[in-house]
Amino acid sequence: MIIERSSNWREDFIERVDNDGPWDSWTLYKMSYEVEKMNLIPEFSGLQAPKFLTNLQLLPHQVEAAQTVIEKMNGKAILADEVGLGKTIEAGLIMKEYMIRGLVKKALILVPASLQNQWVTELNVRFFIPAISYRKNTPIEQYDVVVMSMDTAKKSPHREKIYEQDYDMIIIDEAHKLKNHKTQIYEFVQSLKKKFCLLLTATPIQNDVFEIFYLVSLLKPGHLGNYETFQESFAQTKRSIEGEKYLKELVNQVMVRNRRSDTGIEWTNRQVQTIPIQYTKEEREVYDMLCELKSVSSVFSSSFTMVTLLKEMCSSKEATFLTLNKMLQKCITKEEIDYIEQIIEKLMKLEINAKAEKVLEIIEKANDKVIIFTEYRATQSYLQWYLYTKGISSVLFNGKYSKSKRDWVKQLFRERDQVLIATESGGEGINLQFCHHVINYDLPWNPMKLEQRIGRVHRLGQEEDVHIYNLAIENTIEQKILDLLNDKIDVFEKVVGDLDDILEKKA
Amino acid sequence: MYASQVHDYLRTFFTETNCEIVSDEGFQLTVQLTIDMDKKIMNRPFYWQYIEATDSEPNPTRLMLITDRTRIQNQFVGEVIHFGSGRLNQIFKATKELGSFVQMYEDVAGTDNQTTLTPYFCVNYKVSYYCDQTKEKIHSLGINLINGDIEDNFHESICNLNLQSNIPEKAFCLQYIIKPSRALERLDMMIQNIITQDDHSWAEEAKNRWEKELEVLNYFYKDTEEKPEVYEIEKKGLEERFNPRIKVEIINGGIFYLK
Repeated sequence: MIIERSSNWREDFIERVDNDGPWDSWTLYKMSYEVEKMNLIPEFSGLQAPKFLTNLQLLPHQVEAAQTVIEKMNGKAILADEVGLGKTIEAGLIMKEYMIRGLVKKALILVPASLQNQWVTELNVRFFIPAISYRKNTPIEQYDVVVMSMDTAKKSPHREKIYEQDYDMIIIDEAHKLKNHKTQIYEFVQSLKKKFCLLLTATPIQNDVFEIFYLVSLLKPGHLGNYETFQESFAQTKRSIEGEKYLKELVNQVMVRNRRSDTGIEWTNRQVQTIPIQYTKEEREVYDMLCELKSVSSVFSSSFTMVTLLKEMCSSKEATFLTLNKMLQKCITKEEIDYIEQIIEKLMKLEINAKAEKVLEIIEKANDKVIIFTEYRATQSYLQWYLYTKGISSVLFNGKYSKSKRDWVKQLFRERDQVLIATESGGEGINLQFCHHVINYDLPWNPMKLEQRIGRVHRLGQEEDVHIYNLAIENTIEQKILDLLNDKIDVFEKVVGDLDDILEKKA
Repeated sequence: MYASQVHDYLRTFFTETNCEIVSDEGFQLTVQLTIDMDKKIMNRPFYWQYIEATDSEPNPTRLMLITDRTRIQNQFVGEVIHFGSGRLNQIFKATKELGSFVQMYEDVAGTDNQTTLTPYFCVNYKVSYYCDQTKEKIHSLGINLINGDIEDNFHESICNLNLQSNIPEKAFCLQYIIKPSRALERLDMMIQNIITQDDHSWAEEAKNRWEKELEVLNYFYKDTEEKPEVYEIEKKGLEERFNPRIKVEIINGGIFYLK
């Protein structure tokens, strides 16, 4: 084995012997030895970092996760704790440990743009890791630890600059953004050298079992076989799995996943209910007419357009109108135009929104702070107006808000308004433990989005049980969404592990 | 390292390096840095470049260091320093630089007759084993410069002796027979022997892990005739992670005249 020798100490020493000095202070000499002894890493195993991290209260499951990654997974892992358990802390701890051990000097952290500054602050303040935020023209070669947005990193000239660096460690936050292997970001990360690598995501599977295949293949190609053998052994179709026990075991060799219930922290319960809703006669009529659209006009032949319209009709007439009106501009024949105008007329005449009435009922019964999630801006505004006419004040939120605006909204909700109405993109980055009721006004296709919504409220610091109401209109597309969500949750639980309740348990 | 230990460390360090301690309250220390110390621990090369280029009046920093945050009233004055913080690491580094080479004599005061002092040469080595994990050991090797005997744990055996930097009046220092440069070679050989005889199952284990992961990688590309560039990149990553390496560093060392 090669033994490296470092330092010019030998030459310098001989020179001092020849010149009889200058000699250093005995006190400093002894202090230097003591410092080395104190910082010595006496064992291959165990963690050195915690004793340096005086600004940080580490939780037992975080320390254990770091140790597992370093000692059992050899420094390449998916950190898949449930939302709110501190994946960032675990990643920082692992990176710090490797830095102390002299195994990592240069590290690249890829994150969604909205989390860039938060990462830089956490690393500097809590871990004393001098990380910088990458902006255009940052001389990247001059910094050891760089936090960069994924969208920037994948583009020229930034990607080339990154490839020129020799990073010891790559950390990717919100790694489910890499679930699709055909994307630019996936290819970019694939071609990056990953000596030590951490992928952070609470949702390693969102829609189908291939996502975990691609994620693991990024981290450790071959661990789940290659595409053909994986498909053959485990996944005949997207949502039926064979040999699930083996797959789960393989996945768990490269993944750490703490659940809230494993943390030793007392968690309050989730009371999840599906609230079935009956359309009014008039609403049903419009819905049925919308269903007929695809046989009336070729403009509506795309199933995507149809699904959008039907989902919107399950949300509000305001949301429906916007799309329908846009489609109307594309229609040519008189027959098409007449039919759509007829729908619009009926739509505008609707006076009752059965779902909104249900919402009002829930809010009045809860008699407490309530968050409503909807997927549509138009519905968001409508609901605010509707609740206002019933004497209930609300505040709006969406994910595009700046940090200061978010804080302001949060404060209004805490102190003034009973209801917060958020759009889908408002799911991330705001924590509202003081609220205990979540209404999912529309259902997304992806169960993990629901989990993320619930996670805003059901997280560390929540002191009461959390009530979740999933609204679905009977005999509409929402029924199908509900079924599909159940299937997807089933896949997740078979491969990754159990989930807290997102939907009402099937009887 | 507790707050009070950090405080004692800093006090000793600055006293020893001739930086004036302006005030010391046990949890807060105000120090007037010397120009040299400012250059070592304050990270402002451009300032010093400018001062020197323009021949201006230098103004080295007066540092107010807070070692126990819980005991201060004004949160906005001074710099909190604690184990793990960047500033303390810099001071550790400076300590290492300023405490590298010594020549010391054992104090013989109190003896009536002339005492003979024997020369020893000591090197404190840090040996690091690296693969995807790390382990370090310190070996303090001392060699008798008269007869060539070598002993381990040398530093521990002398660090509590009364030593001084000048030849004591009543001492007679033997002239060394083995020259320090030759002694250094012997110690280097000795450390090499110690390493060779050590248990290296860690390296075998690392190689096994490496091999296993390589097999997995090869499996992924088994049906690919022409391996893509990504394959080579992954392979290189594995090598860098698992390939066992040994590094020998010298912490410090010196010549000691002992009874």
